[in-house]
Amino acid sequence: MSTVTPFPADVRPLLEVRQLSQVYNLRRQKLLGPRPTLKVLDSIDFSVRPGEAVGLVGESGSGKTTLTRMLTGVERPGQGQVLYDGVDVWTGGEAHKKLFRRSVQVVLQNPRSSLDPRMRVGTSLLEPLRSLRIEGDHAARVLEVLDQVGLDKNALERFPHEFSGGQLQRIAIARALMPGPKVLIADEPVSALDVSIQAQVLNLLKDLVRDLGLGLVFIAHDLSVVAYTTSKVYVMSSGKIVEVGKPLDLFRNPQAEATQALVGAVLSVEAGLAGNALA
Amino acid sequence: MTSAKPHAIEVKDLVVSNGDVTAVRGVSFTIPQGGRMGLVGESGSGKSMTALALMGLLPMGWNTHGNILHDGVDLVTQSDKALSSRRGRTLSMVFQDPLSSLNPVRRVGDQISSVIRRHTGADKRVAEAQTIELIKQMNLPRPEQLVRAYPHEISGGQRQRIMIAMALACYPQLIIADEPTTALDVTVQKQVLRLLNGAVRDRGSALLMITHDLPIIAAMCDTVAVMYAGRIVEIGPVQEVFRNPRHHYTRGLLDSQPTMDNIALDGSSRLVSIPGMVPPLHSLPTGCAFNPRCPAASDKCRETMPELGTDGINAACWHPIQPAGEVAAQ
Amino acid sequence: MNTTTAPTVTPRRRRRLELNASLVVGVVLTIGFLVIAIVSFFWLPSNPNIPNIKNRMLPPGTVDHWLGTDGLGRDIIAQLMVGARTSILVGAGGATISLILGTIAGLVAAAYGKIADETISRGADIMLSIPGMVTALVLAATMGSGALTTIFALTAFFTPSFTRVIRSAAMSVLQEDFITSAKLYGRGKLFILARHVIPNIAGVMIVQFTLYFAAGILTEAGLSYLGVGVTRPSISWGMMLNEAQQTVGISSPLAMWPGLAIVIVVLGLNLLGDGLRDVLDPKLKRRS
Repeated sequence: MSTVTPFPADVRPLLEVRQLSQVYNLRRQKLLGPRPTLKVLDSIDFSVRPGEAVGLVGESGSGKTTLTRMLTGVERPGQGQVLYDGVDVWTGGEAHKKLFRRSVQVVLQNPRSSLDPRMRVGTSLLEPLRSLRIEGDHAARVLEVLDQVGLDKNALERFPHEFSGGQLQRIAIARALMPGPKVLIADEPVSALDVSIQAQVLNLLKDLVRDLGLGLVFIAHDLSVVAYTTSKVYVMSSGKIVEVGKPLDLFRNPQAEATQALVGAVLSVEAGLAGNALA
Repeated sequence: MTSAKPHAIEVKDLVVSNGDVTAVRGVSFTIPQGGRMGLVGESGSGKSMTALALMGLLPMGWNTHGNILHDGVDLVTQSDKALSSRRGRTLSMVFQDPLSSLNPVRRVGDQISSVIRRHTGADKRVAEAQTIELIKQMNLPRPEQLVRAYPHEISGGQRQRIMIAMALACYPQLIIADEPTTALDVTVQKQVLRLLNGAVRDRGSALLMITHDLPIIAAMCDTVAVMYAGRIVEIGPVQEVFRNPRHHYTRGLLDSQPTMDNIALDGSSRLVSIPGMVPPLHSLPTGCAFNPRCPAASDKCRETMPELGTDGINAACWHPIQPAGEVAAQ
Repeated sequence: MNTTTAPTVTPRRRRRLELNASLVVGVVLTIGFLVIAIVSFFWLPSNPNIPNIKNRMLPPGTVDHWLGTDGLGRDIIAQLMVGARTSILVGAGGATISLILGTIAGLVAAAYGKIADETISRGADIMLSIPGMVTALVLAATMGSGALTTIFALTAFFTPSFTRVIRSAAMSVLQEDFITSAKLYGRGKLFILARHVIPNIAGVMIVQFTLYFAAGILTEAGLSYLGVGVTRPSISWGMMLNEAQQTVGISSPLAMWPGLAIVIVVLGLNLLGDGLRDVLDPKLKRRS
């Protein structure tokens, strides 16, 4: 396992998990037998710094969904800590939890499902501010964020079904940016989009990291998309982080078996044309 | 047969419409016996509707015009009954989601063997033996146990192999695969593609691969047709089209692929993206449907729709990209 | 990638055109029904409750009694008009109360955990397993017959069905990603139910309301026919059917009028419900 520190060590991680483990109880096999357990996360260490884009890849069942739930504060870990700005999210008090809710925002996979079809886009965008009781000039903030994601202000009065998938994903990103987060967690943000639109959204995420100094956690199953967006990739397999590295190093010299499987699964036009893609 | 050299399928001026909405606007292509064609496009391009029209499985209200010549008949004029007796026999289809295309309350073995019995008239025992043989060919473990499993008891990759086995059971002349690996885990994707590749080759069937994924086409097909807004905008051998695309849309699709070559070490690389979005079917722009997103669009593009094959170039474009090394004609 | 966009968009357009016909017919019939009931408060051809022996059993087409009179000489049109009031009071009353109770129970079952869900769902199962007519007869015997008892009985029949429909509709909305997003930016359950779930199941609620309105009218007619529904001076179409039974063979059309009224109104409400379903169903709308 290689360690990569693309940032000076004195830059403190914004969002960090330490020695995180989670065990699920399964259904009893026998009436009086013990309940079997499944270790979905096993001593995970993970961190993201300001302005850093970090990838999280793994097959389905590798535990990345559970880790995402921990990072977003949906699920409380059995063992270990989730830290925001150095303070434990679950034991750091209400004020800190509120700060965490505001500072860590999420973009989900399917933009059609992640916006309420009965709510005007403008209302959806204001929701996080209202819910988190953030004061300030909401109208100005909406316009600022729309500009950041490249949307026009006449989008505000319209309903989600009037938009294409790519535009909806921009709106979802805009909503995540509304409370001024420090960390953006993007869970498969382009896998439901068309190829030509994927590139637009990936470029947008990159710009946000660069321009706003956001920390980005990019979760995906496709190594090539992650490699393009991030500077450091964590590979997960059966609940463990099996490899961490720069995307190109992982591609050229994968160490762990899971990384090798993921690298091997990447299809490219070049390999296809050369006739050895399925070899 | 309509010609001396039989084709697996010959589609002429296919139009698929429903009232005032036209999803496929005059598509023509030919797949020779044993040929492999890729049909690539984004959502709303009409690629899936083309496949459904070929299979005679269009949703209610949609009508087909044009000719679909296959096995000596025009499928457009065939009755539902005649089409139904062909499906699974001379042409068959593998769908995107194997869970919803398998009957959840029947054992997978029964589902395969009933296809065999229906089309070959084989008796039950022969069909069951053939089913086990097929499952073995699909590299699935413990075929004797697997035939007795229900669809929900096996993994997504296994289900898709079962679908492929069903599609191939009767040695069809043409197999249509609509995004067959999109719903699968990445690491399983390649195995399923490899299997489909080998199985199609062994049977000498022709393949129509429908996908938005260019690398899959490059790996599996020998010709490719690029669809945009219901029309084929570029068609030709995969090697030619992907190496030297003539249409700006094809170029854009190829450039939007994240590959190892366009990822810079410092993370500063940017993907080339096609601006704008696919136009909705009911409000297509006049002229070339791609003109609002095209870097080379001129007034001519906004007025007149280009046709395929003008000046011997298999791209429907007024300003085709000049291949590297050739001098611009205009 | 959504490859099914094209096939799903256009069938909807087609269905919309096709079912607008049923929506239009349904709206016309229902509005006609409501207007007749409202008019009955201001104008009636004659008093529908006062017998007039010298005018008994007049045939349809008689001047001043265009649909004739019954065995006691009471005008049929006047009785039908007052009967429409009862149908609305009882049908809409029962459907509204069941809708409110069913929505609350369904939302609680869908959103407040496994124990709440099991309790409510099994409770609904038990209520649905009790035969409705028996309940109504028992209620009539204990509370006395009348419009209120009938509404009460309808509420007991319909609430469990509403609960089930609302529960499953709410569950499918609660699985959507926008609910996850709302939780992530800190919205509580009540807000999510009120602002996200209810607007998205409003279509289902309206459609179910019209269908149960119709079912309520049918049930009320049935109960009144059995003599455990409303009693005079209120008038019900079911009661008219019952009374007409005594004169079958002498004047057959007498049973036909209330029967026809029930068929037309129930048909109208059902057409309205079907038509609305296709305009309002969020599943059909979302993909546009």
